[in-house]
Amino acid sequence: MLDASGSVSSVLLRDPANQPVESPEYPPELARLPPGRHGLPREFVSHNQRERLIAGLAEAVAENGYAGTTIAHITRNAAVSRRTFYEHFGSKDECFIAAYDTVMAELRERVEEAFGQEEEWPQAVRAGIRAMLEFLAAEPHLARLSMVEALVAGPVVVERYDAAIQSLVPYFAAGREGLSKEVLAGLSPTTEEALVGGMVSLISRRIFADRTEELESLLPDLVEFTLTPYLGSTEAAKVARAS
Amino acid sequence: MARHQRVRIIAALAQESSEQGYQQVTVADIVSRAGIARNTFYENFRSKEDCFLATQEYAMTAALERVVAAAGELGNWADRVCAGLTAFLEYVVEEPALARTCMVEALSAGPAAVERYERSQQAFVSLFKLGRDVSPHGGQLPETLEEAIVGGVFWIVYQRLAVGEVAAIPALLPELTEFALTPYLGAEPAREAAARASGNLRSKPGA
Repeated sequence: MLDASGSVSSVLLRDPANQPVESPEYPPELARLPPGRHGLPREFVSHNQRERLIAGLAEAVAENGYAGTTIAHITRNAAVSRRTFYEHFGSKDECFIAAYDTVMAELRERVEEAFGQEEEWPQAVRAGIRAMLEFLAAEPHLARLSMVEALVAGPVVVERYDAAIQSLVPYFAAGREGLSKEVLAGLSPTTEEALVGGMVSLISRRIFADRTEELESLLPDLVEFTLTPYLGSTEAAKVARAS
Repeated sequence: MARHQRVRIIAALAQESSEQGYQQVTVADIVSRAGIARNTFYENFRSKEDCFLATQEYAMTAALERVVAAAGELGNWADRVCAGLTAFLEYVVEEPALARTCMVEALSAGPAAVERYERSQQAFVSLFKLGRDVSPHGGQLPETLEEAIVGGVFWIVYQRLAVGEVAAIPALLPELTEFALTPYLGAEPAREAAARASGNLRSKPGA
């Protein structure tokens, strides 16, 4: 098991020790099921197995890269049988897609929450970018899975990757509201796409180079870059440098 | 003869990669597409990856030559950026398979390919950095600005290549130029420079 497997597991397994689960059907003691017969309701076991397979894939990909990961790696990490793997997924690719979707759902949730907590749009953007950078920096294996390994995991994943980046556009498009005609004239249909593409390019580069410790220091530059077309450079810089 | 063959194989790899994704392409696909013998492939390249890297180098060199030729002579930095972007977009439209190979497939073709992709962006980063000298507030611009601008421009072009909307690319020139110039010059001067560039594009024969 990897040193970082704890952090991989806590995001992908909703570790009951850190995040209490409300449902009475999901008691914490059963988070790690022993193999074999245990008489538990089928759906419960099934859901838990699926999560463990996803976490198992993430650990395997972190260790071996996407190409080097085998189903044996995954099932060993997840402590389930090969047969169980195939009950949930048709292939390694499918399992990867599920892992990718899980990571992205988590990231999306954090960004959405941080963004939504701010009243003013510029501060909301800052909070959202910060949440994204914090997550990626705290989970370097998941960052790598979703931004580096995703690109070699087949066209279905690449499509999701592209869509995920484009899904950031509305956060910035919201900044057009209330702007003067003059400022709006300086924006184009592709402004948000370019801003998002530029931002992700900076982030992705550092993840590719295994320099995730640098991610959080990008915050001021990213905030200034993305807010400038809407607020002007002076105002954008002020928001960027705020503590 | 050898050089012709090499270029033919490169073109074949670019086409196959564009159509089915680099991961799926086999040497058999390439030789079939190029209409050559398997031996001939291995006389020119050690492997599929070797061929891919050569394809990238070939396309990057060709594109850069055009950008430098277009931008190099002009005195005004904004005009150089416009001319450079124009030349870049023109290359992408003329050679969509090669452009797609470099910009889309490269990221899934291993670390050496990614390194080359990075290098291709670097050429533009250097061109944009010169804008700090002509900008009224060059000293206050964020350190990663050029990286972000180039990343943004590449992302927009990549998106269109990925979905096969190559014909839509030239129309993006004015807004991409404005996007690139505005942080240095302000919105009005950027727009004027972009309009000048579009004017040049329109006045070209056959445009």
